[in-house]
Amino acid sequence: MSKQPYRILLAKIGLDGHDRGVKVLARSFRDAGHDVIYTGLWQTAQATMCAAMQEDVDVVGVSLLSAAHMTIMPEVLKWRKQYGIEHVPVVLGGIIPVQDYDAMRKMGVAALFNPGSSIEEILKEFSRLAAEASHGTLEEVQAGYTTGDQVALAKLITHIQRDTDGNGWAPPAGDALVLGITGSPGVGKSSFIDKLGRELRSRNLRVAVVAVDPSSPLTGGALLGDRLRMMSGSPDENFFIRSLSSGTVLGGLGPKAKEVVSLLSGFGFDIILLETVGAGQSDVAVRELARHTLLLLMPDSGDSIQFSKAGLMEIATCFVLNKCDLEGADRTLAHLATAVGGDRPLWKVSTLHNEGIDKVADWVVAQR
Amino acid sequence: MGAHGVKPTGQTAAVATTMPVTPDRGEDGKPFVGPEDLKDFDPAVSLAQPSEYPFTRGIHREMYRKRLWTMRQFAGFGSAQQTNERFKYLLAHGQTGLSTAFDLPTLMGRDSDDLLSLGEVGRCGVAISSLDDMRRLFDGIDLGQVSTSMTINAPAAILLAFYIAVAKEQGVPLDQLRGTLQNDILKEFHSQNEYVFPPPPSVRLVIDTIEYGTQCTPQWNTVSISGYHIREAGATAAQELAFTLADGMAYVEESIKRGLDVDAVAKRLSFFFDVHNDFFEEIAKFRAARRIWAKVMRHKYKAKNERSWWLRTHAQTAGVSLTEQQPMNNVVRVAYQALAAVLGGTQSLHTNSYDETLALPSENAVKVALRTQQVLAYETNVTQIVDPLGGSYFIEKLTDEIEAKAEAIFKEIDAMGGVLPAIDRGYFRRAIAESALQQAREYESGQAIMVGVNKFREEQGKPIEILQVDQATEDEQVARLKELKKNRDAARHKAALEKVRQSAGDGENMMPSLIEAAEADATVGEMMATMQTVFGSYDGGPEW
Repeated sequence: MSKQPYRILLAKIGLDGHDRGVKVLARSFRDAGHDVIYTGLWQTAQATMCAAMQEDVDVVGVSLLSAAHMTIMPEVLKWRKQYGIEHVPVVLGGIIPVQDYDAMRKMGVAALFNPGSSIEEILKEFSRLAAEASHGTLEEVQAGYTTGDQVALAKLITHIQRDTDGNGWAPPAGDALVLGITGSPGVGKSSFIDKLGRELRSRNLRVAVVAVDPSSPLTGGALLGDRLRMMSGSPDENFFIRSLSSGTVLGGLGPKAKEVVSLLSGFGFDIILLETVGAGQSDVAVRELARHTLLLLMPDSGDSIQFSKAGLMEIATCFVLNKCDLEGADRTLAHLATAVGGDRPLWKVSTLHNEGIDKVADWVVAQR
Repeated sequence: MGAHGVKPTGQTAAVATTMPVTPDRGEDGKPFVGPEDLKDFDPAVSLAQPSEYPFTRGIHREMYRKRLWTMRQFAGFGSAQQTNERFKYLLAHGQTGLSTAFDLPTLMGRDSDDLLSLGEVGRCGVAISSLDDMRRLFDGIDLGQVSTSMTINAPAAILLAFYIAVAKEQGVPLDQLRGTLQNDILKEFHSQNEYVFPPPPSVRLVIDTIEYGTQCTPQWNTVSISGYHIREAGATAAQELAFTLADGMAYVEESIKRGLDVDAVAKRLSFFFDVHNDFFEEIAKFRAARRIWAKVMRHKYKAKNERSWWLRTHAQTAGVSLTEQQPMNNVVRVAYQALAAVLGGTQSLHTNSYDETLALPSENAVKVALRTQQVLAYETNVTQIVDPLGGSYFIEKLTDEIEAKAEAIFKEIDAMGGVLPAIDRGYFRRAIAESALQQAREYESGQAIMVGVNKFREEQGKPIEILQVDQATEDEQVARLKELKKNRDAARHKAALEKVRQSAGDGENMMPSLIEAAEADATVGEMMATMQTVFGSYDGGPEW
């Protein structure tokens, strides 16, 4: 295993929903100690490569079983160029007739895998390509960062995370409003952030999201799946999403979370939304970084009791009751209102129907 | 030297001749099963005779002697016209039912000219965006004479509306329509991922079609409750069985909640299972499925009509078991799987073509697949005796075991509050992904063997000829659709979509307004988008 985990992006593009292979691979890469960003179903080539750029991945793996590779892969490579990340190798797996291999290679696909390829063989090839991946020198990307180059920003985050000592350089001070967003799994944090982020974008604010997922304590690898809920709209350079693994320190925000936030703020983002796993120490860590901590809850989850026990109700400075399209929303809201008291805001939201998000956005804007 | 003085050919490296013991087979180390392993087995209770409750041995007394299984090859590619020609070819070669494969855009409820449809129009099935396309698909085929299966889910109600509109144009009374709509949205949430709306309104649409079916199309099977995709996504046989039957129970419960008579609903429900490589386990799975379903329909849902207790099923050989390497080996795999389905007592069967890991099947490969069924039906005599393995110690033990595993899974699902709450928790997706990973590891370690892939490998031979769908199909389809959108009666179209929106919001049965919209040349994409304004869309739940 490498000293640092590789960052691998796995993508399904188009309408093809066959995801057995890509899921097996994602888990296998995690188990081999790597960070895997999966962008979910039904993505466009453009959104995939925008994600690859912002996440500064070492390799992009595309899975296609829909026979659309001759149409989709040229698009993928076109957007790779447009986003300025031609250094990132793109590999392709799925149902690709041997007859098309040459065309794919000529186009610039770095490797091809078929249903008979073993995981070991795929892993080996990804690792070989990842080991060669270039993130530029620290000085190069620092220079790029200061010119407002987003590719450089993405690479700099990787450098800051991977290197223990920098060269004394520091980003300019920014004035981003940092909002921590937490809540137990299943309450819809990522989808909520997607909608809130897009609402803030519609008000001409530049938004960055840092989404932290836990690393496996055994292998150090991580499945970074939050991003796939944040790709509902068209790709947008001023909606910058970065997925981080928490690292093996229990309950942490991942290495150098504070520095990553400073980088984003210094780059000129107006709002930084920091999504955490919603358990234990990460929430205390969030409080140190964020001006406000927003706790997301859902109807009838019993969470109000659970959270007050865990002390989260005290840490949070504002509350959102999500999924208010579900039964029992009003009852839970009444319970919550009592528990929260009058001095902290509480909103009723349905991410599904995009209701109530604007009110939260109003408040966020007013905090700046 | 070989036994007859013939030099062995092929693989020259030494090959182990002992077989590893499959972990869940003979855990007690015994290579055979005897009466001592079936202590609680009472044939009168567990088996009875074919056509007798609990139908373990089959739902008919004479089974294939009286009526062969339906040979139903799934087909569809390119434009409606191209698939129409394939349908006519299959009917001419002795196929007895039509089975329609739609392309991905149609399956996802999107029009051929949608941005995300790019490159996928007509690739994996036929592109149907409008009533006009459906009309071309069945041109020259009398809908009163054929039985048609349509593999479609999220937009199933819309495709049914198109079919009904074509039948009306042909002058065929709706009560004569025979066929099956897959229309099983629950398994989309578990495995196949062709969902659009969130689970509750998706299920409501299914119940709308069931309700409409009981009133207007009584011979039409409104839901084909499918384990196939669950299995293909990685589930074990027991998971396939349990998840599928749990879905079936969920539809029955929702129908009862709607106020429908359980007997009217049950007789139009059919099932669709995968048939995989583990020969005896697959046979046991079909037998256990019939027994479980009969018990729950009779005792849990109090169906009175004996036919409501029947589990009627379609089967398809396992797509995931096919290999790109040495593709002719697939013919053999498919034949064994087909035999298992027939010994398990299936009502209809699709046999996969040997080239399906590479592309849509070529005409020649489809013919071999169909001939595989014909050889089985007409040459082997397996049709002569019903449930020939019934009473085998081993088969009965396996049947009991797989039933017990399914029962344990039903308990887990019940503890979560049922199928919908379990979806909300990501239960099915997580369970299937874990099983898939487990199987991948078994192949990776060599514990499980795939001939030609992780054993008996060869250098890749000459590529076989495959079906190519050219880009012209997409261009023509998109052009025709644009033309349709330009020339239709705009006012009628707008009013019809408004009705769709209203009935979605009002909670009334969607079918009448969808049929009206179909006749007003509203497209699949437009009707879906209209419903989406009311229903919202689904992001897949917590697990991926």
